[in-house]
Amino acid sequence: MATADPMPDVTSAAPPATGSLLVLLAAMPTEQLETAVEKLAAAFPGENLLIAAPDGFAASAWPELQFVPTPQTGTSWTLTAADFAHACQLSQKHESRGILLLGQEAGSLSAADLRGLADAVLTSGADLAIPRYDLPPHAGLVNSAILYPLTRALFASRARYPLAIDLGLSRRMAERLGSVAQRYTSLNQGDALLWPVNEAVAAGFAISEIDAGPRTLPRPTDPDISAILPHVAGSLFSDIDARAAFWQRPRQLPPARPPLPLNSEADEPADIAPMLDAFRLAYTNLQEIWSLVLPPNSLLGLKRLAVVEAPAFRMPDNLWARIVYDFLLAYRLRTINRGHLLGALVPLYLAWVASHLNTAASGTSPERHVEAVAAAFEADKPYLVSRWRWPDRFNP
Amino acid sequence: MTNILATVFQPFTYPASEPVYTDNASIWHHMSDALHQSLYRVLSLLIAILPGILACFVALAVFTLIGMVLSAFLRWALTAAKFDDRLTRARGSAEWTPSTSPTALIARGAFWACVLLGLLIGVSAFDVSYATGAPLPISLLPYLTHAVGAIFLLIAGTLIARFLARSVLIGAVNAQLQYARFLSLGVKWLVLVLTAAMVLDHLQIGGEIVSLAFGILFGGIVLTLALAVGLGSRDLVSRSLESHVERTDRAAVSTNPAGNSADSIRHF
Repeated sequence: MATADPMPDVTSAAPPATGSLLVLLAAMPTEQLETAVEKLAAAFPGENLLIAAPDGFAASAWPELQFVPTPQTGTSWTLTAADFAHACQLSQKHESRGILLLGQEAGSLSAADLRGLADAVLTSGADLAIPRYDLPPHAGLVNSAILYPLTRALFASRARYPLAIDLGLSRRMAERLGSVAQRYTSLNQGDALLWPVNEAVAAGFAISEIDAGPRTLPRPTDPDISAILPHVAGSLFSDIDARAAFWQRPRQLPPARPPLPLNSEADEPADIAPMLDAFRLAYTNLQEIWSLVLPPNSLLGLKRLAVVEAPAFRMPDNLWARIVYDFLLAYRLRTINRGHLLGALVPLYLAWVASHLNTAASGTSPERHVEAVAAAFEADKPYLVSRWRWPDRFNP
Repeated sequence: MTNILATVFQPFTYPASEPVYTDNASIWHHMSDALHQSLYRVLSLLIAILPGILACFVALAVFTLIGMVLSAFLRWALTAAKFDDRLTRARGSAEWTPSTSPTALIARGAFWACVLLGLLIGVSAFDVSYATGAPLPISLLPYLTHAVGAIFLLIAGTLIARFLARSVLIGAVNAQLQYARFLSLGVKWLVLVLTAAMVLDHLQIGGEIVSLAFGILFGGIVLTLALAVGLGSRDLVSRSLESHVERTDRAAVSTNPAGNSADSIRHF
């Protein structure tokens, strides 16, 4: 959904169209666009809706909807800084009260989900509406392993998918995100990731999580986890580093919401052997690097894990929390090159995935396991705060 | 008997044609002259360059002092002007630790700039004074300057070798190559051998032998790596090509690859 020009020229002789809700659609194949527009037409019948669709889209098929053509040349599987800058500029131009940012495959969301996201920002007074997708246990694993637990522990937000592909934004939230995005786009880093939940929490804005149904997730252009995990985790670590003074203060976590019903879409057990092989290979080769980052206690835990057979493979939640925190600290302190650091995290993440899939296969609800992991992150937060402030203290 | 004793105790006289005492005195005299001349040359050189050395140290000390004062002043002035806060407001929510705050960075930068300036001025002064003593035949000092360059080369080479070795190791482990460590070691030693050759060349030690030995070693390591990787990764390459072909076929047949167990894992 990235755009080449965050400030596209949408001027015309006619006065700009206005709408209470502006929908910004990502660049996607025509069939997906048509499905998404159909869902929008069904969700907002006869309402003042303005849709910003990529140039060349045949809008004449929906005469009841207002369209704004937007030049979009790049594509990304998730929302980027360029998208937020674009959304901010369009919302100011068309004086919309709310903005709906929809990513690729948005047509798989139901009309009710779209309505829910829009209503949260237009009528419920939320500044950020974020969907809680109903995903199968084998999907959104980076969210479950790192993004959700870290966001919950540090920013006291229960947003289950902090890196959501669809968002509802109030005007002021769009402006705030737009100003942050502008810094990246001015540095020609339009594909940088932003963290709307962290931004909203830091600004004291209201966040509303909407129960969305199943959603087809877009595939990243480069599906190689060893390339994409460092990109995403590095971006979140950097954001956390920049907001250290904020998250070190204790905050009250909002009450838990009822868990989603178990999605039985992917009942077939996944093959964890390649992930365990990757972890064991890394254990024999990367110890020198891990020992620069992890304390002896964590290394001992990994040593024990390396000899466990596949069916019994379980990574303790507190060990995983400690590993992520130690990598975050090393990222902050630049203990080793950041690219190397995040590359060395990949096999450990794969070990967590193998453990999570084993846990799910053993009958435990995956969501319950993810919640337990997030709770472990919360419980270990004092360790992070302590080492963040006094990194040179003895750490067994 | 008397004759014998007379023969034994008669004063020993050297033949007139072998002036031994005279020659020994001459050798000692020559050695002494040579030593004196050498000492004189070295002392003359030291006397010639001593002002330069002193100037170098004085310049370094003075500019370090100036740097400390300037750094302290900048720190005080920027803190008083709340420079960090202003920058934070201008940048949005950016925050930093005290050791990496813009104020600290600017103050530190000013200090090291002064030190560098002092060093440059000192070296320049030393250079001028050395030029006056240069006609004196002594080759130790130029060699020392080469040694400094060589040390920098060695440090840079070691750092680059370590960086590349880690990059290769992590990349190879994430690509699940069984010989990741071997590959990483190979790259590390390639860079180290290259560095060693450059250092020796810089020090002008060994001449052609170093170049020859380096060529043989470098070529040997590259050949070993090429053979090891080429022979060891035949299966890997064929597997990779096969899986690529399979993926292409699947994409052509079906747009929903979720049926495969491995593909059903979605990290994002």
